[in-house]
Amino acid sequence: MAWYDLFLQMIVDGLVLGAFYALVALGYTMVFGVIKLLNFAHGDLYMTGAFVGFGALSLVSGVFGAGWPGIFIAMLLSMLAVGCLGVVIERVAYHPMLTAPRLSILITALAVSLVLQNAALTLTGGQYTAFRTDLGFGGFSLGNLFLSWNQIVLVTTAAVLMIALELFVSKTLYGRAMRAVAIDKDMCRMLGINVSAVIAITFFIGSGLAAAAGTMAGAYYGSIWYFMGFLIGLKAFTAAVIGGIGSITGAMLGGLILGLLESFGTHIPFIGSEWKDVFTFTILILVLVLKPTGLLGKSEVERM
Amino acid sequence: MKKFVKLATVAAAVNLITATSAWAAEPIVIGMQAPTTGSEATYGQDMFNAISLAAEEINADGGLLGGRQIELVSGDTACDPQQSVNAASRLASQEVVGVVGGYCSGATQPTLKIYGDADIPFVIVAANSTQLIPANPGNAFMINSTGADQAKTAVDFFAGQDIDKLAIVNQGDAYSQDLADLTRDDWEKAGHTISAFEVVNKGEQDFSALVNSIRNSGAEAVFWTAYYADGGLLIRQLRQRGFQGIIAVGDGSNSPQLFDIAGRAAEGVYAFSNPTADFLPAAKTFISNYETAYDTAPGPYAPLAYDGMQLMAWAINKAGSTDADAIIQALASADGEAWLAGPISFTPQHTLARSNFVVLEGQDGKWIRYQP
Repeated sequence: MAWYDLFLQMIVDGLVLGAFYALVALGYTMVFGVIKLLNFAHGDLYMTGAFVGFGALSLVSGVFGAGWPGIFIAMLLSMLAVGCLGVVIERVAYHPMLTAPRLSILITALAVSLVLQNAALTLTGGQYTAFRTDLGFGGFSLGNLFLSWNQIVLVTTAAVLMIALELFVSKTLYGRAMRAVAIDKDMCRMLGINVSAVIAITFFIGSGLAAAAGTMAGAYYGSIWYFMGFLIGLKAFTAAVIGGIGSITGAMLGGLILGLLESFGTHIPFIGSEWKDVFTFTILILVLVLKPTGLLGKSEVERM
Repeated sequence: MKKFVKLATVAAAVNLITATSAWAAEPIVIGMQAPTTGSEATYGQDMFNAISLAAEEINADGGLLGGRQIELVSGDTACDPQQSVNAASRLASQEVVGVVGGYCSGATQPTLKIYGDADIPFVIVAANSTQLIPANPGNAFMINSTGADQAKTAVDFFAGQDIDKLAIVNQGDAYSQDLADLTRDDWEKAGHTISAFEVVNKGEQDFSALVNSIRNSGAEAVFWTAYYADGGLLIRQLRQRGFQGIIAVGDGSNSPQLFDIAGRAAEGVYAFSNPTADFLPAAKTFISNYETAYDTAPGPYAPLAYDGMQLMAWAINKAGSTDADAIIQALASADGEAWLAGPISFTPQHTLARSNFVVLEGQDGKWIRYQP
C-alpha cells in the first residue's frame, strides 16, 4: 500500500469512527446547552440503545429481514424507546435537581450511569451478546482503498440524522425555543415558552441520537455488552469539548476531528496502537487548557 | 441400541477378567491428588473419574507386574496450598507407590517437596506453571504443556503454512502479552519476520486503524493471543476489510462463542487448544466409556489425567518393581509414549518435550481438529 492509499484509508476510517462520536457528542452538547449538565449517563443510553435495537431487530427481522431495512426499523424503534427513557430520566432524576448546585446534578448523572450499566450487567450476565445481522462484507475498491457498503450506509445515515437535526434546530419553532432556552431560561419563562417541554424534547432527541448510534454500532461491529457505552461516552465528551460544548455544529465537527485524529494517531511512528487512548485524552486536556471554549464554542460569562 | 449391546458386552468381559484376577498378589497403591471441594471441585472430580477409568482398564487387562491390581487412594487439595500439604502427607503415610494428579499450580508446588522427601514418583497432569520447574526435586513429571509450548505450537503451525511475515496482536494483560512475547521471540529466532506487534485496549470496538497497519505491514498471517470477545471483533473487521491471510487465535479464544461474534468471518480461522477429549481422535472410546460410567461428558483435563495414570502404570511395568528410583528412571525414559493426548517424552527438567497443544479450524460454526 502506498502512503497516499494509507492516508485515504485513514480518512475513510476516521470518518466512520467520527460519525459515531458525532452522533453521541450531539446528545452531550444539546443537554449541556439547555440545562448546563454534563450528562454522564449519555454513553449508557448509547449502550441501552444498542440492546433495545438488538431486541427490536429480533422482533422485526421476521418481516423486514436482518439486512439494512430491518436494522433501520429497529433503529427507529430504539430511538423512540430510548428517547422516551431519556425524558423519563430527566423527569425523575434531573428535573428536581435543576435548582440545586451544579455539582449535585453532576453526581446524579453519574448515579444514573451506574444504574443503567448495572441493570444491563444483571440482565445480560455480563456476557457479550452477538448482534446477528445479514449484513455482508461487500464493498468496492478504488485502487488500494477499500470502502464497504456498510460504511457508506452508516456514514450516510449519520449525515442524514445530523442534517435533520440542524434543520430542526434552525428552522422550526421548537428549535428556536431550544436555542432561546439555552441562552436564558428565565426570560423564556417570562415570554411564555414552556421550558420544561423544551428540555424534555432536548433529552428525547439527544437520547434518540445516542440510540441510533448504539444500534448501528451493534449491527456494524457485531457484538454488544453492558460496558460498551463507557469509553465512547468519554470520547464523545472529548469530541463535544473539541467542538465547543453547547454548540451543535461544534459537536459534529468535534466528532469527525476526533475520529480522524484517532485514526492517524494509531499510525504515529514508534507510538503503537496501545497509546491510542492516551493520545485521545491528551487532546482533551490540551483543548481544555489552551482553548476551553473549543473550536466553535462561545465563551460564557457566569451570571451571578 | 447397537451401542448399548456393545457396551454391555464390554462390561461383561471386564467383570469376568476382574473376577478371575482378583485373587492375585497384593495391590499396588496409587495416590490421586486434585481438588474435590471448593471452587475447582468439578475439575478435580473430573480428573479422579478419568484416573479411575484408566486404573479399571489396566486392572481389567490383568493389572501390573504380572497380575497385581491397582488400588487408588485420593487426596483432596481444595486448590489450597495448606490443605494440599495435608493431603500429600496423608498420601505419603499410606505408602503409595506413585501419585497422579495436581491441578492448581499454587497448591501443587508445596506437595513437590513432600513427595520428594518421601521418594514418591509424581506425575503432574494439569498444573502447568513454569514455577513448578525449579521447585521439582527430581521425582515429578509434568505432562501438561506450558505457555512456552503454545508459542512453540504457534511457530510450528505458521512455519508449516509457509509464512514469513507475522503480525501478533495482544490485549496488554499478563496472559496474552506473555504468549505474544514468547511467540515473537521464537518466531524471530526461527529466522522469520514480525511485521507488526500490536496491542488493543480492552473494550475497544473499532479496530480499523489497527487493521490498516496490519495490512500495510504486509503481514501474511495474524496471531491473536487474547480472549474470544475482542478476538471475534478483530477477526470480523480483518475479513470485512479484505485481509485474506491466515488468522489464528490462542487458547483464550477457542471458545464456541467466537463464532457468535465473528459470524462467517470465523470460518477457516485456526485456534490452538489444550488436548480436550473432543479433539482427540484416540479419545472416542474414552468419551463413551466415561459417559457410561459417570453420566456426564469428560471435562477439559480428563484426557491428561487418564494419560497420567497410564504413564504411571507403564513406568511401573517398565521398572519391573515398585521401587521408587526405578520408576522415576522409567518415567524419565519415556520416549513418545502416547495414549489419548500427544506423545509423551520429557526434557531434562521433566517437562513435556513436545507441546501437546492441538490445532483447530473453524468450520460451519464449530471447531474441528486441523490435520495438515
